[in-house]
Amino acid sequence: MKGSLLGVLLSLAPLLTVFAQDFQFGVHNLEELDQKQYAADATANAVVLREFGTARISSGSRTPLIFDYHVRIKIFNSKGFDQGDVIIPIYKTDNDRFESVSQIKAVTISQDENGNISRTPLDEKKVYKENKNKHWDHVKFAMPNMRDGCIIEYSYQLESPYVFNFRSWIFQWDIPKVYSEYIASIPAVYNYNVALKGGQPLTTNKAELEKDCFNPGGGVKADCSKLLFAMKNIPALVEEDYMTAASNFRSAITFELSDYVEYNGYKRKVTQEWKDIDLELKKETLFGAQIKKTDLFKGRLEPVLQGTTDELSKAKAVYAYIQKSFKWNKSRHFYSEDGIKKALENHTGNVADINLSLLAALGAAGVDADAVLLSTRDNGIINKLYPVLSDFNYVVAKVNIGDNSYLLDATDPLLPFGLLPIRCINDQGRVVSLTKPSYWTDLKASQKESKIYSLKLELAETGKIKGTITGYSKGYEAYNKRSAIKDFNSVEEYVENLDEKMPRIKILNFDIKNLDSLENSVVETYEVEIDAYDNLNREQISFNPYFMDPIQENPFKLDKRSYPVDWGAPSDTRVNVVLVYPDTFELANKPGNVGLALPEGGGRYMASMEQEGNQLTVSQMTQLNKSIYLAHEYPALKELFNKMVQTQKVEVIFKKK
Amino acid sequence: MRVFVIIFFCFWHSLGARGQQSYAVSDISSELKVRAGAVVRNEELTIEVKSFNQVDYRYKRAVTILNSSADAEAKIAVWYNKTRNIKSIKATIYNEFGLPVGKISAKDFRDESAASNYSLFEDARVKRFNPAMITYPFTLEYEYEIRSRQSLLFPEWSAIQGEGVSLELSRFTFLCGADFGIRFKELNYPGKVVVNTDAKGQKSYVWEVKNVKALKAEPYSQDPSLVMPSVKVAPVKFTFQDVSGSFTDWKEYGLWMNEALLKGKDNLPEETLATVSALVTELKDPREKARKIYEFIQQKTRYVSVQIGIGGYEPIPAAEVDRLGYGDCKALVNYAKALLAGAGIRSYYTLVEAGDYKTDAIPDFASMNQFNHAILCIPFEKDTAWVDCTSKTLPFDYLGDFTDDRLVLVCSEDGGKLLRTPKMRTEENLQVRKGSFVLSAEGELKGKMTTTFAGWQYDNREALIGEPLKEQVKMLREIYPLNNLEIRSFDLQQNKGNSPNATESLEFHARDYALINGGRYTLSLNVINRGRGLREVVNRQKPVYISRGYIDSDELVYSLPAGYRLESRPSDQRLKTDFGEFSAEISLTDNTLVYKRRLRLNEGVYPAETYAKLVDFYQRVYESDRTNLILIRNK
Repeated sequence: MKGSLLGVLLSLAPLLTVFAQDFQFGVHNLEELDQKQYAADATANAVVLREFGTARISSGSRTPLIFDYHVRIKIFNSKGFDQGDVIIPIYKTDNDRFESVSQIKAVTISQDENGNISRTPLDEKKVYKENKNKHWDHVKFAMPNMRDGCIIEYSYQLESPYVFNFRSWIFQWDIPKVYSEYIASIPAVYNYNVALKGGQPLTTNKAELEKDCFNPGGGVKADCSKLLFAMKNIPALVEEDYMTAASNFRSAITFELSDYVEYNGYKRKVTQEWKDIDLELKKETLFGAQIKKTDLFKGRLEPVLQGTTDELSKAKAVYAYIQKSFKWNKSRHFYSEDGIKKALENHTGNVADINLSLLAALGAAGVDADAVLLSTRDNGIINKLYPVLSDFNYVVAKVNIGDNSYLLDATDPLLPFGLLPIRCINDQGRVVSLTKPSYWTDLKASQKESKIYSLKLELAETGKIKGTITGYSKGYEAYNKRSAIKDFNSVEEYVENLDEKMPRIKILNFDIKNLDSLENSVVETYEVEIDAYDNLNREQISFNPYFMDPIQENPFKLDKRSYPVDWGAPSDTRVNVVLVYPDTFELANKPGNVGLALPEGGGRYMASMEQEGNQLTVSQMTQLNKSIYLAHEYPALKELFNKMVQTQKVEVIFKKK
Repeated sequence: MRVFVIIFFCFWHSLGARGQQSYAVSDISSELKVRAGAVVRNEELTIEVKSFNQVDYRYKRAVTILNSSADAEAKIAVWYNKTRNIKSIKATIYNEFGLPVGKISAKDFRDESAASNYSLFEDARVKRFNPAMITYPFTLEYEYEIRSRQSLLFPEWSAIQGEGVSLELSRFTFLCGADFGIRFKELNYPGKVVVNTDAKGQKSYVWEVKNVKALKAEPYSQDPSLVMPSVKVAPVKFTFQDVSGSFTDWKEYGLWMNEALLKGKDNLPEETLATVSALVTELKDPREKARKIYEFIQQKTRYVSVQIGIGGYEPIPAAEVDRLGYGDCKALVNYAKALLAGAGIRSYYTLVEAGDYKTDAIPDFASMNQFNHAILCIPFEKDTAWVDCTSKTLPFDYLGDFTDDRLVLVCSEDGGKLLRTPKMRTEENLQVRKGSFVLSAEGELKGKMTTTFAGWQYDNREALIGEPLKEQVKMLREIYPLNNLEIRSFDLQQNKGNSPNATESLEFHARDYALINGGRYTLSLNVINRGRGLREVVNRQKPVYISRGYIDSDELVYSLPAGYRLESRPSDQRLKTDFGEFSAEISLTDNTLVYKRRLRLNEGVYPAETYAKLVDFYQRVYESDRTNLILIRNK
């Protein structure tokens, strides 16, 4: 999650160090072949012994970026064989601008039981290029003759016309690495912001000046800064459950072009300061220009705004209208695909098409609103040291009314006004206004995931329990509930399915309220009959008050965490059970109350039981107040769930009087 | 184990073209709307054989989407490759009243690779379109024409729709000239095919199905193709990528396979043959030789899918597998066959429809598209061994539940023969467990247990093999959902002999296992092997099908903490039905509690009415597995 600016490297002093060279191809040593496991991580099925890469801007025609890559991997057992299925994704824009891979060389070196060493080179004819879709091709090959203990080695050259992100280098993989080294050779006519992501330290980080290395002709000449980054003993990145994007934690070097010098000597800024970006976004055809298209909505909004008086009711009407006007094509970006006009006509578009339409429509309705650029949870957290526009992948609207502001995303018709989908709740977003300078804003869930269940039950002498179950779902829970119901053909079929999932419980009648009124709680009422006991002709009966949906397993099984727990939205769950039992029985045990709280107000769990006459009341409350629990908070969180699982085993015993 | 994917297997949900039709939603009969999120209004598949190497498929489908639950039915995906070109493709969207509101042309379709993720290479591509409709209901009508350059494989026509989809009309028309002979097989077809010959000798065959109600998902159901109408067509003579041939039964099909697809692919370098020969020279029993060679192949090769050649049916030569050390199921089977032959052991390339359903090859109808996987059949004097060459770990002569108990096509030198792969009987599919535990006064559970797996349960722990202990512990915590489970030791012994079995030994402890509250000690009797619940199905339609039986037996001995006496215990359970038996018994002597549980499920097909009893059975097991014993502190 850490981002550190390596800008210091860019002010160069010539160094005397001799730079490392690529290691020799296909030269193995017996020690590596004999290695049975990786000492630093005995759980590894494979380990990268050595990895070396260089990237430079060629002086050749159209000055493409040339990336040379070379890796040697030790495979301990067949579970590591997937390292031998190599895929190199390459990007393409059209027939003129595309990446290409050449000079693929690969060899498998293995040793049989008798110690005989064999080398099997890759057959060039067995390299395939798959046209994946409009923008991606996959160059694929499978390493030949792999067996337990073998070493695979391959190298290739990738040529790319895209220099904006230079070439990033992923230090940390899902298998460990002994040594990884990367040299980026950047001509002085280009200036990049360089960032180190993830938690692993660089073991080498140095720079040297290379004279006149860039000669594209036309009188242009430049020196290069040769930057060397290396890491030793990099552990594997092991993904954990409830983890936010692994990319937040994976160690890597990334680049973003900040400025470059054109042939005519003019220095063109690409990204540097927010004020530049603000201006760029404002002028951008697929961004600012779209938000200004308020005219598109003037006519359309007339019926929508009828009867609205204040700004808030106008904003709500416009939001509901845009939600209903689009079906999101699941594509995420902050730039419109082909303009909102076309998106409106087709009723579909990417996130920007929909939310820039929302902004334009709000503008047309006279509601003050700004765009908010953000990065979704799976896309990682934004580095705030300097602006990197390409880190963002989403845009939403922020409506300002008086002292209040509301964050709106119209891609999903089931979201209530002011509630962002969970995918957007990710640290901070950048508010971009057409009139004012941009600034950061918190992306917090405006509502919790909240549910309340109230059970009013009566145990009859027949052994059956009759009563009502009422559920109130708010915030994200209401959203989840509505989505679940929409997956069925009708509300009746949803209820039938619910009934079918609980063989002992029969739903006699039901009522579901506020399914379409998104700002209210979904209220479900079920009249039920539970086939609890064959009869009550016995000395004692036991009853588990948590029968409704008990937690039977702790979701947290690891002893300790390396990464934070991503809990989604803060949650609040309450269950209240009232059971009236026959006069002929009396309560034999009353389990004690349970209470447990997390430190720093992180959450709590409480369970209590009261008896009065022949009525038993059981209450349970679980609150988890954070979206993210840090690794050091994990043991307490795990223990909280532990307590819940244990408490819910409880059985109340009634004895015949 | 992975199957080879062949695009010709994609079901064609139908065909044809009827005249100008109204798609007004009000025209749909009310019974077709029951449980339906979508209604297929019209589906027509027409296959026209123009010549041996030119066959045109015309497909049209109009589907009304009633609400968002059926959005997936409006997704269009059309496959193609080098031998299968899309000549035209278009779609129209109609509103509720059947009026056209949008037109979609070929350029609106996305073009993508259709290669599966595990495939190194496949030339299959797909054109996709997902309409963006924000109001329901609407009707999507799409049609396309495909030109195929082969007359060996034809799409199959079937009236099967997805769950929650009803059908007004589906029609299949097959057109061919006088010189083109076909064989066809109708399955569950209620009507009679209409055959006509026109003045020029052009023949037409027409099948159609009307008004099929929407089906609902029902657990424990058979393969729907066993009950729904479908028609398969095969040529008498055909051409496939410059290869011509003919077959009318399985025998001839096998001969053709040997000749056209397998012949000349079994040469191996002398060196490899020598290595293998040295490997088995000491062994006398051919079965033991075959076992040794199978293990050699498991070590040397790995599964990599590359689909090139005749529609994905042609194996790459054995010598190439030998050189590369990888191949797909066909290539690996062919390689194994060649190696065995080198050691003087006869074996046969065998085609099978793999998967959880036990799908038989149709005895009286030979056609190419009834299979998706290849295995090897090795006949010995007294018995026959079957092996799957795509697994690096399975025992010799063990197919598991992927290809067991079904009719498969064995390509012998005398031609194709249908044989049944071995069935694993209920009594063989065992999981037998013994555990002995001590419960502390603080509620901690501590002890050891040993579990043996056999039959199709043999590979219950296969995923743990070869993983480091840390990973194994992670997986064991998923398998045994005990809170705070700490593994002291874990060991898995596999016996890959003639009746393979695996034995797991586990030593562990778990704090807070028992709940201590208000002077009571509450103890769950069975957290180790809990049955899951089974959902009810209102008005169950389909017969109940249990594909494979099994027996689970658990005997857990608990030593209880001192200072408590029994307050409440669950009563013993004994259930006996046609489809299964269950018992759970407790005996308590002094401080020792013995819990014995036995669950048996019998393979079979039972009437639909049985389902409610099966749910009740599962529910009783579910509840019994979650009962607690309560001890109270001595005063």
